[in-house]
Amino acid sequence: MIELPLAILITSVLGSILAGFVCSTMGVFVVRMNLSSIGYCMSHAAFAGAAFGLMISFDPLLSAILFSFGTALILGPLAEKARLESNVVIGFLFSIMIALAFIFLNFIPGQAASGTALRILWGNIFSVGYNDLILLGILSATLIMFITVFYKEILSIMFHRKLADATGINTKAFYFAVLFFTGFAVSLSLRLVGGLLVFALIVNPTSTAYQFFYDFKKIIISSPLIGIGSCLIGFWLSMAANFPIGASIVVVSAIVFAISVAVSPKRKKKRKKDVKIN
Amino acid sequence: MTENIIELQNVDTIYEGEKIPAIHNINLKVRYGEFITIIGPNGAGKTTLLETINGLIPYTSGTGHVFGKEIKKHKMDIRKNIGYVIQNFDIDPLAPFLCKDIVMTGRAGKIGLFRFATKRDWELVRHNMDIVGMKGFAERPIGKLSGGEFQKILLARALSQEPKLLLLDEPFSNLDLSARRKMEKLLTKIHDEKNITIVMVSHDLNFIPQRCSRVVVLDKGRIIMDDRRENILTSDMITTIFHKEESRV
Repeated sequence: MIELPLAILITSVLGSILAGFVCSTMGVFVVRMNLSSIGYCMSHAAFAGAAFGLMISFDPLLSAILFSFGTALILGPLAEKARLESNVVIGFLFSIMIALAFIFLNFIPGQAASGTALRILWGNIFSVGYNDLILLGILSATLIMFITVFYKEILSIMFHRKLADATGINTKAFYFAVLFFTGFAVSLSLRLVGGLLVFALIVNPTSTAYQFFYDFKKIIISSPLIGIGSCLIGFWLSMAANFPIGASIVVVSAIVFAISVAVSPKRKKKRKKDVKIN
Repeated sequence: MTENIIELQNVDTIYEGEKIPAIHNINLKVRYGEFITIIGPNGAGKTTLLETINGLIPYTSGTGHVFGKEIKKHKMDIRKNIGYVIQNFDIDPLAPFLCKDIVMTGRAGKIGLFRFATKRDWELVRHNMDIVGMKGFAERPIGKLSGGEFQKILLARALSQEPKLLLLDEPFSNLDLSARRKMEKLLTKIHDEKNITIVMVSHDLNFIPQRCSRVVVLDKGRIIMDDRRENILTSDMITTIFHKEESRV
């Protein structure tokens, strides 16, 4: 078991809680709005951006956000008009972002910077600083306000976007708000979970919550709780077994998801019904 | 105030990236309180016409007014008073929505941004679920409903908007004969009690509600007939159009 000084321990635990909260809250929107392919690209763009920042000695967090937003700005309107199949999006941008990230990493001057770059790739709990905590805290508070104030609009869009449009809701504004919040969540969680795995923290907790509830309100409350739980258990596992933090979190969230599918009351009922029909 | 709730003049709607208009040279006037049905074979442009009326699809030429307001300029405003029941679509059986919440989403635009649903809004939701005969379904998951029940919830959703105009896209699709009859009775009741103008779209010539006084026939994006129900149903032209469709199938 790795022993940490109290200040670092508190920072790390808070970082895990906040990253778990923002990622798995955005997951509710990303999963329901079928934005997974865009989200994957944004997370890998954030990774490439961080590597680019390190290469030109610029703040990697800021360049991660810029790359992530750039991707959202290009892909958002394209995907909205259904001009691009999600497979094409993933195939093209996913690979190009990873390729760019490796090119940038190759040109990072100095060994220390290379170490930082690798930490962005795998995630490292010691990379999380006070600034990250403050930004994650601001994003968490903004998300809580966003969901509380616009809950009825969000629910309407999550059910059926065209019908929401037809009742006079500006769904385009909400669509881009979701993309930008996802970009922020991904970029701010990059140091903790790592560029390659951060998106699993967005999708897994929400997918787990979907196995249990029919009420959207319960999904929106339980998804972040599952995300926070996965992060804390992943953090403990990382300390106990000396695993990379990002991998630990993602493995925990994946195991929780697999168990939830096996014990899901929604699926059980369906199975019973199938038997009756047969 | 103009006596027409809908006024379309020489309207063409062309989808982005296409050259041929989905609807062409549409001239349509609908008076307040009318119940009209737009019929036509598949691909005639019926849904496009409905979605041009509520501004979901922008028309490319001509002029369009709803409630006396130009559709393009005031689309967000006019949509708040148009109830739209979309053509039946498949809903994920595990979808995380309760019926009462779906009916409430109909009020979202009308309540407005930065405002929360009040007790009156929830009363309206309950009242409209009662009207469509779905009172006991408030806490049921939306994905567990039958086709007919789902259609009724979508209708209750549109009614909870307290609309002046109701646009119904194939409200009888996926319904068996008995459910169709119930839905027809329901629409007549709504038309009677709420005095809402109803514009309904159907590809089924045999199922135009008795209450509907006027029928508009659409073929290849053009209005080819616009007359009283009895005149349309007995015309030779309508038989030719629909027989052509049947022989294509």
